[in-house]
Amino acid sequence: MEKVHKPKKVFVQGPVSPEFVSKSIASHQSKTDIGAHAIFLGQIRADQKESGVVTAIEYSAYEEMAEQAFHEIREKAFARFELTCMHIYHSLGTVPVGEISLFVFVSSPHRRAAFEASEFVVEEIKTHVPVFGKELIGENGAYVWKENS
Amino acid sequence: MYYGMLAEITGHANELWISDENLTVGKFRSQILEKYPALREKKFKVAVNQKIAEDFAPIDPSAEIALLPPFAGG
Repeated sequence: MEKVHKPKKVFVQGPVSPEFVSKSIASHQSKTDIGAHAIFLGQIRADQKESGVVTAIEYSAYEEMAEQAFHEIREKAFARFELTCMHIYHSLGTVPVGEISLFVFVSSPHRRAAFEASEFVVEEIKTHVPVFGKELIGENGAYVWKENS
Repeated sequence: MYYGMLAEITGHANELWISDENLTVGKFRSQILEKYPALREKKFKVAVNQKIAEDFAPIDPSAEIALLPPFAGG
């Protein structure tokens, strides 16, 4: 049976905290048909740019279109993989180096679907979601615009 | 609507675009580049009503057009 999923809120202001990640894990303890969770965390890296080291990324998005894109990615993943549950959270605003800007959490009765679905979702996000990032450099407001590869 | 570095180049986040009846994405690109020549060296996609559209796609008068620089999500 095809489940219709309601669009879920994906964007959060600022970094995703480790506490939020652990609370999300804890909240799935009652779902006893789950055998495997795969969790992806995107962390801000201190990349070396020509003008200095990245200290943070400031995220912005074409929000309406991005929410729709996230929804379509969810639907595709549920159709392609045997999943019990899936959550995606993406930061907007400033996320300092070392902190988390993306949290993808997929749950399945079995590990194969969880591994594969999490990779699928992350790649889809990087390709199809209109999110933009300014890599902030140093202390004086310098930045370069980030481009996914 | 202009996003990311494109908003910096044009100087605003959005503006009203007036054009004749038969606007396509391709024609719109040429018009935009005429108005903002600095965009010529930038890569961007055009979304019409929140869907990425190819150059041959028509744009109806009430459509929402967004210029999207390369994505950096995740």
